[in-house]
Amino acid sequence: MAAPSAAGLGRRLRAWLPRIMPVRWSRYNPSYLEPEVKKESYQKPLEELTEEEREQMELKAVQPIKAAPPTLSSSVFSDPMISKFTNMMMKSGNKVLARSLMSQTLEAIKRKQLEKYHKAPENEKETIECNPYVIFHQALKNCQPIIGLSNITKGGKTYQVPVPLTDNRKRFLAMKWLITECRENKHRRTMMPEKLSQELLLAFNNEGPVIKRKHVLHKMAEANRAYAHFRWW
Amino acid sequence: FALFPPQLDHGCALHVAARAGLSSVSTQDVPAERPRAVFHTSESDPAKHTEQHEGRLYNIPLEEVKAVFPHGLPYRFQQQIQTFNEARVMVRRPALEILAYLKGSNFAHPAVRYVIYGERGTGKTMTLCHVVHYCSRQGWLVLHVPDAHLWVKNCKELLPSSYAKDRLDQPLQASVWLRNFKTSNEHFLQEIKTQKKYMWGKRESTEEGRPLGEVVEQGLARVRSASDAVGVVLREIKQQSHRGSFRLLVAVDGVNALWGRSTLRKEDKSPVSPEELTLVHNLRKMVRNDWSGGAIVTTLSQTGSLFKRSSAYTPHELLGKEGFDALDPFVPIPVSNYSPREFESCYGYYLERKWLQHEKAHTEDGKAELQFLSGCNPRQLDRLAGPL
Repeated sequence: MAAPSAAGLGRRLRAWLPRIMPVRWSRYNPSYLEPEVKKESYQKPLEELTEEEREQMELKAVQPIKAAPPTLSSSVFSDPMISKFTNMMMKSGNKVLARSLMSQTLEAIKRKQLEKYHKAPENEKETIECNPYVIFHQALKNCQPIIGLSNITKGGKTYQVPVPLTDNRKRFLAMKWLITECRENKHRRTMMPEKLSQELLLAFNNEGPVIKRKHVLHKMAEANRAYAHFRWW
Repeated sequence: FALFPPQLDHGCALHVAARAGLSSVSTQDVPAERPRAVFHTSESDPAKHTEQHEGRLYNIPLEEVKAVFPHGLPYRFQQQIQTFNEARVMVRRPALEILAYLKGSNFAHPAVRYVIYGERGTGKTMTLCHVVHYCSRQGWLVLHVPDAHLWVKNCKELLPSSYAKDRLDQPLQASVWLRNFKTSNEHFLQEIKTQKKYMWGKRESTEEGRPLGEVVEQGLARVRSASDAVGVVLREIKQQSHRGSFRLLVAVDGVNALWGRSTLRKEDKSPVSPEELTLVHNLRKMVRNDWSGGAIVTTLSQTGSLFKRSSAYTPHELLGKEGFDALDPFVPIPVSNYSPREFESCYGYYLERKWLQHEKAHTEDGKAELQFLSGCNPRQLDRLAGPL
């Protein structure tokens, strides 16, 4: 029996819908489009759109659209780095707790900095940064390693070879180090927002154990320079 | 301008604010404020707060905060005082209403009871604190119970009372309250004298005619008899209030705890009902309107309450039949979410104090989003503005 034509199969939507419809991790039919969340794109009047944008709009009117993931937000205050960090702090799917810890951390950073700001003399007031988001981003940037180590086995022995890191990997390592540092090396009874705010403020000033760990990694990479030619990518 | 003081009879409680609004519109303009901001007011005496100050924030000097409010301010507000280095309270309509009633009430009549109620996070405790500040500025004796729910739950030590056999004492809670009472009402404790001899156990006693400060010291020194000391203080103050040498304000936050259930258990695991607790028993006597020369201002609170639905906020639901009958008749004062003007004022204050640090929070979009997400509820706005 000849199978129905491939073009027809591609055009037609899924014929069989199972009772529980897994949505984001399933394979969507390729005709499904991504959802558009930004308010600005809907507020542009028709005349300002270029030809391709007009075509895009008409396509969206007919084609089906994927379900928006819960992390996608149209709020002006949403920040992808903060969401990523919250997800990494989350344990067993408890996003409510992780998000409240994150907001308490940001508030704790703001309070500490504001207290310092109000007590400081006039000429020093400009140097004190009170925006918790700026502190968070700068602290993460300071914690990101430039070069990493990778295990390469050659001739039966495993060597630690210095290797360049992608941006994603750097961000992931910075966040991971911050979270593990807070979880493991602090007193059992301190609350997470307190620990995290302290670590972020230290990292913002290029001090603290996370920056030290980054420097240790850099030194190891420097020490193992000889094996750099083992890398083949 | 002439604001005729309304006589508050039990028959008709006229709405004063309406009359005050009419008279102020016709006369002077908004008084010249400092160029600091529209939403601040330099009037830090609650007695002079009128409709014109509605929606504005007034400053309480920090020394006064420590003297007047050793307990009673919400925890988030205390944190805010510490961060901003100042205590700014918003003048809102329910508080102005109560202040007008207090200014016009006849103190020869029995004490009027005011019950502040409203949904969660709308500002009932802050209204109560505004009224307490006004009364302490006017020189009243303020009996402020910060949260009556703390007396019916989480009590580590329950002692059988030495005074009445079937009652239970709570030494820790009583001594904490006595310490704070002493801080807020120092000068009254020397003026008021006891009218009876009180025996504390077999050997110690307080003679007749001694200042009330001695009773308080006795309660703080001997923690076992602290609850009885509290009872004595309440009794003496109530008996002497009608003489007119001082005005008494009984301010109770979470008054629905006095008539609900408690989570405490006796040693044989049987549940304790609130009237078996000395502190609650004495406070119930205080909240009855059989004395004159003052007022009773109370707040209902669902947040700390026991065995009540989380959506309950009306007096009948939270007080139950027993409590409602005990408090009836009372003047209900509803507190609602921020009006648009009050929201603007609060938002402007946060911007000015650099509490809203996010760059988008300064834009119109951010403000609209904050208004939408919080629903103009004061607590939600505070919670949302925290991490921003």
